[in-house]
Amino acid sequence: MLYREAGDFKTTYREDNQTFPIKSERILFWAAMAFAFLVVPFFIDSYWEKSVLVPLLVWALVALGLNILTGYCGQVSLGTGGFMAVGAFACYKLMTAFPDLNIFFVVLLSGCVTALVGMIFGLPSLRIKGFYLAVATLAAQFFLIWVFNKFAWFYNYSASGQITAPERAVFGIAVTGPNAAPWATYLFCLTILFIFAWFARNLTRGRVGRSWMAIRDMDIAAEIIGVEPLKTKLSAFAVSSFYIGVAGALFFSVYLGAAEVTEAFGIDKSFLALFMVIIGGLGSILGSFLGAAFLVLLPVLLKNLFVGSLGWPTDVAAHIQIMLIGGLIVFFLIVEPHGLAQLWRLAKEKLRLWPFPY
Amino acid sequence: MNVHIREDMSRHTLRADDGIATGGDLLKVDNISLSFGGVKAISDISFDVRKGEIRAIIGPNGAGKTSMLNVINGFYHPQEGVITFRGKTRSRMRPHEAARQGIARTFQNIALFKGMSTLDNIMTGRITLQKRNMFWHGLWAGPAEREEIEHREAVEGIIDFLEIEHIRKTPVGSLPYGLQKRVELGRALAAEPALLLLDEPMAGMNLEEKEDMSRFILDVNQQFGTTIALIEHDMGVVMDLSDRVVVLDYGRKIGDGPPDEVRNNQDVIDAYLGVPHE
Amino acid sequence: MSPDFLNFIETFLNGLMAGVMYSLVALGFVLIFKASGIFNFAQGVMALFAALTLVGFQTGQVPFAHLIRAIFGVEILHWGAGMPTILALILTMGVMVALAFLIERLVLKHLVNQAPIILFMATIGLAWFLEGLGDLMWGADIKPMDVGLPSGGSFWWEDLTATWAAQGSDYYGMYIDTLDVSAAIIAVALVVALSLFSQYTATGRALRAVADDHQAALSVGISLRRIWVIVWSLAGFVALVAGILWGAKSGVQFSLSLIALKALPVLILGGFTSIPGAIVGGLIIGVGEKLAEAYIGPLVGGAIENWFAYMLALAFLLFRPQGLYGEKIIERI
Repeated sequence: MLYREAGDFKTTYREDNQTFPIKSERILFWAAMAFAFLVVPFFIDSYWEKSVLVPLLVWALVALGLNILTGYCGQVSLGTGGFMAVGAFACYKLMTAFPDLNIFFVVLLSGCVTALVGMIFGLPSLRIKGFYLAVATLAAQFFLIWVFNKFAWFYNYSASGQITAPERAVFGIAVTGPNAAPWATYLFCLTILFIFAWFARNLTRGRVGRSWMAIRDMDIAAEIIGVEPLKTKLSAFAVSSFYIGVAGALFFSVYLGAAEVTEAFGIDKSFLALFMVIIGGLGSILGSFLGAAFLVLLPVLLKNLFVGSLGWPTDVAAHIQIMLIGGLIVFFLIVEPHGLAQLWRLAKEKLRLWPFPY
Repeated sequence: MNVHIREDMSRHTLRADDGIATGGDLLKVDNISLSFGGVKAISDISFDVRKGEIRAIIGPNGAGKTSMLNVINGFYHPQEGVITFRGKTRSRMRPHEAARQGIARTFQNIALFKGMSTLDNIMTGRITLQKRNMFWHGLWAGPAEREEIEHREAVEGIIDFLEIEHIRKTPVGSLPYGLQKRVELGRALAAEPALLLLDEPMAGMNLEEKEDMSRFILDVNQQFGTTIALIEHDMGVVMDLSDRVVVLDYGRKIGDGPPDEVRNNQDVIDAYLGVPHE
Repeated sequence: MSPDFLNFIETFLNGLMAGVMYSLVALGFVLIFKASGIFNFAQGVMALFAALTLVGFQTGQVPFAHLIRAIFGVEILHWGAGMPTILALILTMGVMVALAFLIERLVLKHLVNQAPIILFMATIGLAWFLEGLGDLMWGADIKPMDVGLPSGGSFWWEDLTATWAAQGSDYYGMYIDTLDVSAAIIAVALVVALSLFSQYTATGRALRAVADDHQAALSVGISLRRIWVIVWSLAGFVALVAGILWGAKSGVQFSLSLIALKALPVLILGGFTSIPGAIVGGLIIGVGEKLAEAYIGPLVGGAIENWFAYMLALAFLLFRPQGLYGEKIIERI
């Protein structure tokens, strides 16, 4: 009875186009946002920040970016790790080259750089499709990692090949570097994620999203209807890479603080992002969040269970974790190819009629 | 959910006047030849489509009808021949450019976007008419929203016209065949085309659905003045609907003219129609 | 002949050997893709899993030893002195067949008629599962693989080629690893055997029928599910061979599963459905990679092997999207 749409009439198209068409859904959403923005910062400590909340926010942004490309536009990418690396290194270079530039703009600019790189690697998508494209994006992954390893200019000729984020502040409050407070880094990431999620939602509900989905669902028909494949695919690559680049920048500067490219942005990251999108739900904004939450929280939980409670060695726990994730991917694809987001939708359908389903 | 605004459709029909009077040549196809490797799909075919008419293309399976439509909207590129559309001779052209010039079509095997709702599918038809860039759409509020609403109104007009209000928000993948065909027609209409190509709009339909579809086609032609070229196997429908008929066989043209004339053409009877049962 | 030219030949030959190994992995992909339209990302991990299992049997490891220790606190790492290689090989093959059966039962059966990309992602999940399972069963440490293949440089060849160089030049002959040579011979034998199998046996015919058209194959009474088990077993066999050869070369360890990534550009080059394509593609990639490392590598700082193959394949794709042996794609609507 709490969740219902009966009596909730729309009299304008504007109202009908709302993100949350049902009133109780809107209330729930804004309550959650208020909790995240106004309550959590007061209780967050270093453990929650470093092992749960900040990685969750950053990965949600990655998943969002990849979902735009793979879920909405249907172009499978295995180059996510490489694009995150581009964002991270752009961020590092910008931070060190322009110490006075606000970190917020540094992060945005890193996204722009990544968008350009993404478009270049998206060019082959015009001629090749499906797995062939997935393999082509692997080329991006390996090539980019190689570049950041090989050319010392990217890591300012540091001896270890590592990049380390200097301290930068927003409104005088440090958000990067060792002195940043947990609540500050958390709020910084949350704000960026909120803006980006809102932007993504807007893009996907209008003309742009429709042209992406048209290409995804049936590219030939889409072109005959007037969707320009070049522009559409490249725009998906650009937006997606922009998101992933921003996430990479945050991942490096806010979360890790210091990074070595092969370790931080290897191919396993590409797969992880892809798994998030699959488990969460292809072509769903909410799914990106659910998928990221699932795969960030699962290892934490498993580690607490196996290592913390049962006292097993970490390597056994790690192997079980890999197995479980792999198994879950298969399980989800079999049971619900549309992921957690679809389960949520089904639950809502049920709830909408509850308690009088007939 | 009950958004329903009746639209005056005529407002949204024809694009800027192209200076071709009704009855003038909208599309001229001259000496088109198309082959795949060694296989000739179309050889040396010429015909025209006059503005405002319903033009049928008929012929046995494999005669090159669908290939002809594919050539017209730029999906296939013929090795020889010239296509003149709205007075402009066309060089090599990609399908989306043809769409921009005002050619819309439906497909023999339904080619809807399965992951989207009916509404979104039809909205996609208006993609060539939406102008706001990505940045505005990302911000939504303001120009992009106004644009979306304006096009939504037009699309609601089409939904109303095709009588598919009840499935507005249903994913098209779950619709029955006949409705899918109708949605596809809606998507083509949404582009406000100057020339509408219909590839077997009634294939696989029962009598009732065929009647409905015929009515829609006639209405589109008469109310909005849209020129239509269609492929159809049901001779009854073709003879009733069309103003003129082209008959293809093995990639050649064997007949062209008003239905009555074509019906009595000996070549056409031999190749396709057969002798009527007495 | 000048030493430069001889060096070129040496690089070329080594490239060919490496290429044969790539072909071998690619072959596993092609088998499964032809029969079921599935791009089996887990092929590399299957090779790792097979190699781990083989070594485990050979040395008499107890499966899941670490897990057992963690749960029950019992320390049993070995149950004996191990077993002869032949027996271990047979048992490992048995495990791979069982695996094929389980995959069909638990995964493929439920994913019939899904989009190819969904199946592709399912095999990525499968790859992770097998990787975790392999590590959990046999431990993640690097293990040597010894099935009695010769290894080390060939002195005979080195002496022979040393005499080819022009008089007075500092040339000591070419280095070729005998392990690579035997690997190449085994791979060629395997390819020949597989083509004979698919050409001349009833099962082979059924396989080709399924590859051509699922529906038609079903309608003449071929059991799709049985064929899938056979195909995955075959792929498991190919994976075993690849695992042995790669394992003998660089030890049985996680990086073995990455050979799957090496096979991808080969497939792109050769096309997903062509066995000759897999072979020729493998050779091209092997040679191209070695030559590029030797001649282009120094110019840009080396270590380009990781991505060169992909770039080569990508450049190739742009001109011929259907691969070397694929049929020209005519798009229809």
